[in-house]
Amino acid sequence: MRPVAAVALLGAAVAAALLARHTISVGMLAVALVLVCLRAPRSRRWPYLVGTTLSALALFVITPFVETIGSHPLWVGPIVPVLGQLDVTREELWSALFQACRLAAVGFAFAAYALLLDHDRLLSGAGIARRSVLAVALATRLVPTLERDAGGLVDSLRGRGVAVEGVRRRAALMSPLLAGSLERGLNLAEAMEVRGYGRSGRTRIPAPPWTPTDVAGLAVAALLVVAGVAWL
Amino acid sequence: MALARVERVTYAYPGAAAALRDVSLAVDPGEVVLLLGASGSGKSTLLRALAGLVPHFHGGRFEGRVEVCGHDTRKVRPSELAGTVAMLFQDPEEQVVLTRVVREVAFGLENIGTPPREIVPRALDALRTVGARHLAERPVAELSGGELQRVCLASTLALQPELLLLDEPTSQLDPESAEGLLELAKSSGAAIVFSEQRPDRALDVATRVVFLESGRVVLDEPIDRARDLLAANRPTWVSQTNFATDCCRVGEASVCRFSDASFAYTAGSPVVDRFDLELRRGELVVLAGPNGSGKTTIAKLAAGLLHAQGGTVERHGRAALLLQDPGHYVIRDRVDEEVALGVGGDRSRARAALAAVGLAGLERRHPRDLSSGERERLALASVLVIEPDLLVLDEPTRGVDPERKQELATLLRNGAATRATLIVTHDRPFAAAVADRTVTLEKGLTLAEPAYA
Repeated sequence: MRPVAAVALLGAAVAAALLARHTISVGMLAVALVLVCLRAPRSRRWPYLVGTTLSALALFVITPFVETIGSHPLWVGPIVPVLGQLDVTREELWSALFQACRLAAVGFAFAAYALLLDHDRLLSGAGIARRSVLAVALATRLVPTLERDAGGLVDSLRGRGVAVEGVRRRAALMSPLLAGSLERGLNLAEAMEVRGYGRSGRTRIPAPPWTPTDVAGLAVAALLVVAGVAWL
Repeated sequence: MALARVERVTYAYPGAAAALRDVSLAVDPGEVVLLLGASGSGKSTLLRALAGLVPHFHGGRFEGRVEVCGHDTRKVRPSELAGTVAMLFQDPEEQVVLTRVVREVAFGLENIGTPPREIVPRALDALRTVGARHLAERPVAELSGGELQRVCLASTLALQPELLLLDEPTSQLDPESAEGLLELAKSSGAAIVFSEQRPDRALDVATRVVFLESGRVVLDEPIDRARDLLAANRPTWVSQTNFATDCCRVGEASVCRFSDASFAYTAGSPVVDRFDLELRRGELVVLAGPNGSGKTTIAKLAAGLLHAQGGTVERHGRAALLLQDPGHYVIRDRVDEEVALGVGGDRSRARAALAAVGLAGLERRHPRDLSSGERERLALASVLVIEPDLLVLDEPTRGVDPERKQELATLLRNGAATRATLIVTHDRPFAAAVADRTVTLEKGLTLAEPAYA
């Protein structure tokens, strides 16, 4: 499936999750999106999945204490300054579950976008300016590169018997990490220049023709939004 | 008529001494010119001059004239020369732009205005030529170093250049991959100018040799005559097996012992599988094998940076590890402070270690201001200063010229009696010169581990 159709599907799933009114509908959307994310390599997907799940859990825990709805108290607690009387009602729990499922659905949709889509094709296919395409592509590569460089700096210290523990010691690595990143950027700019970047008369890889799968993807995306408004 | 002509070029980077001095050179179509010379002798600068990057990209003071395919490089920007000239840099990580392989190879083709319907077929053809067609849809982030270098070569070959410039293109590859890469480049039919620090293999591919010393051309001869002259005047550049060393010692007390040690970064795919090795004080052991066979992982296990998930790794005494990339030894703002990091800030010990590797007088410099060769030595000083019981070196000869290699071999042998030394290297002549014994791996499997005499 071409990236534009995939993004339309993911966007529609997010829209449906935000428009839907039933917890079970939003929950099922979140589960479907998790299954999509499982197609990504395990080493890459776990930060997204764990991060989204923890955020959704945190929202589920906090919401009942800050919302004041419902008339079926399950627990009544002390009076706390600013927040007032703490209590948890059945309606608040349902609301918390609903909001958590929504957040999870949105988070998993973003994870699928980040993990599974070919961003080069997506942005060039969308006709966005070439500089923006390159900026996004380079930014996409920047994170793993910085991660690898940081690992190298830590290893160089540990290989000399210097422990790298605590926020202060780790923060001291930020400056060499940034300097290394700038040096790498200069080398990359040189490599781009020698490969003709900036020259006039450039062309572009032709976009592949639309396939039935792409068209079906767009149709399902439209249906999802309508379903989100009407039935879910 | 020459394809490229360098006429009396003298060049200095901004605020620096001349990197090229009165250099003249002509490259004919189909020639394969090997640039040799010590680190800092001007090889990379000459390649950049042929690509037009010097002076356009780097600035500085430029005298003389470089003409490539009839274009004066002072009047034409490097991007305008793309397609006529293509250049492959040493580190593939620093030249990859996009996130998918086929897009990456197509990047240059798009820039030079290739008709759209020809872009993908040419990119795929180039990938097929370098044996990487199967990688076309893979994310570049998932490729190994060797695969990435092949993709970068495909990116240059896709442009179908008349002049191909290669700056130490095999420094990160094992011997088999390196040989294959050079043969692939040669089969493109383009004239090639390339620099190498492992001349044994490169001399077999080249048709002509240019030797640079302090920015000057001191030898420019066809391959046969160049071999004779090098053998007579610079023997280490022709054969590195004549290093003066004292090998084949038998070690004393055990310093490190691997017993059935295993390690996997991903569950179910062990990189090191039931590995056995003993390192004794006084001996120097070389660990060899192709890319991906687990050498670096074993080095990190030996030094205690990783912990075995199966079996045991016992160590007696202090271990130190020299990483492959000297760019990771730039944490402090002064050279002596960087070296002193491993000894609690003791600058007197740091100065002694710097002197031992030939960096005396550079104590106050910023590590990033050092040349690549000096950075290699700074990294070495940073681990030698610790005076470890177990010294582990991961590819210590990467990017090091043969004369420096000989110095390194002597340095390691001189200190070998006080410690156990484990060297991970692809460099067969260096390994043969310094090792008491060699352990060869193939994808986590030990092929040969000679027993103690």
